[in-house]
Amino acid sequence: MNKHIFLQQLEHELKGIPAVERADVIHDYEEHFMFAIEAGKSEEEIASALGSPSQIAKELLANYHVKRATVSTSAGSIIRATWAVIGLSFFNLVIVLGPAVGVAGVIVAGWASALALVLSPLLVIVNAVVHPSTFLLFDLFFSLATCGLGIFLGMGMLYVSKLGKNASISYLKYNVSLVKGGLKHD
Amino acid sequence: MNVQFKKGVLELCVLVMLDKKDRYGYELVQKISSQIEISEGSIYPILRRLTNDEYFTTYLQESTEGPSRKYYRLTDKGRTYLYELITEWNEFASGVNQLIKEGVNNE
Repeated sequence: MNKHIFLQQLEHELKGIPAVERADVIHDYEEHFMFAIEAGKSEEEIASALGSPSQIAKELLANYHVKRATVSTSAGSIIRATWAVIGLSFFNLVIVLGPAVGVAGVIVAGWASALALVLSPLLVIVNAVVHPSTFLLFDLFFSLATCGLGIFLGMGMLYVSKLGKNASISYLKYNVSLVKGGLKHD
Repeated sequence: MNVQFKKGVLELCVLVMLDKKDRYGYELVQKISSQIEISEGSIYPILRRLTNDEYFTTYLQESTEGPSRKYYRLTDKGRTYLYELITEWNEFASGVNQLIKEGVNNE
């Protein structure tokens, strides 16, 4: 692999990051090639010592998305960061995807339950309109109670979601800080 | 060699080389790869991450020969972090060395 192919491949794999940052990364590696060529090495030697451009790109992408998830609060940014960290290695597919699905499941289930509980009086009213003969006042009071319960659960879920987000980011950061396939001899 | 060891070791290597003077990327990569067998390309993402975490600042400097160089300078925050890492590393290394010594002597 020569300099041109190495840089082209790296640039191609870094499509997901902003152009300014990508250009800066490419510049670092161009600089590396220039100094190494000055030191008398061939382009092929330099490229092979650098390692695989796609592995380098994965590291950079994981760093980028974890950084984004730290400053942004959207669920999308956490999903992208999780995905990028999973991309680092097959090993991560197991140790990152498993907990991610678990945490996401708990959060989604919690919010769904809270929503169902909060909306239950509405269902009683709809039922009363459709089948007025089956209406019981007890149902309405009971559903108001579950509505209150739903509001409490919702408040709890706000806290749980925040906790889940922070824990996910810490765990992703920890995974990024492990060397995966970065060594020449395994 | 086990690839699951912490990148923290490489972070420590990079940080410690910048403690006394600023260096440019290629210089750091050459120094590390002369001691540790590692894909040279994986140092740059570490430099980038540590710069993002405000452990380094960077500046470009023209050189008398060849292209301009991107220098890395350790910040105060980076220096504090470095000293933490050195303490951790020394405790870790002396623990392992002690166990090796005991293990070898018992044979």
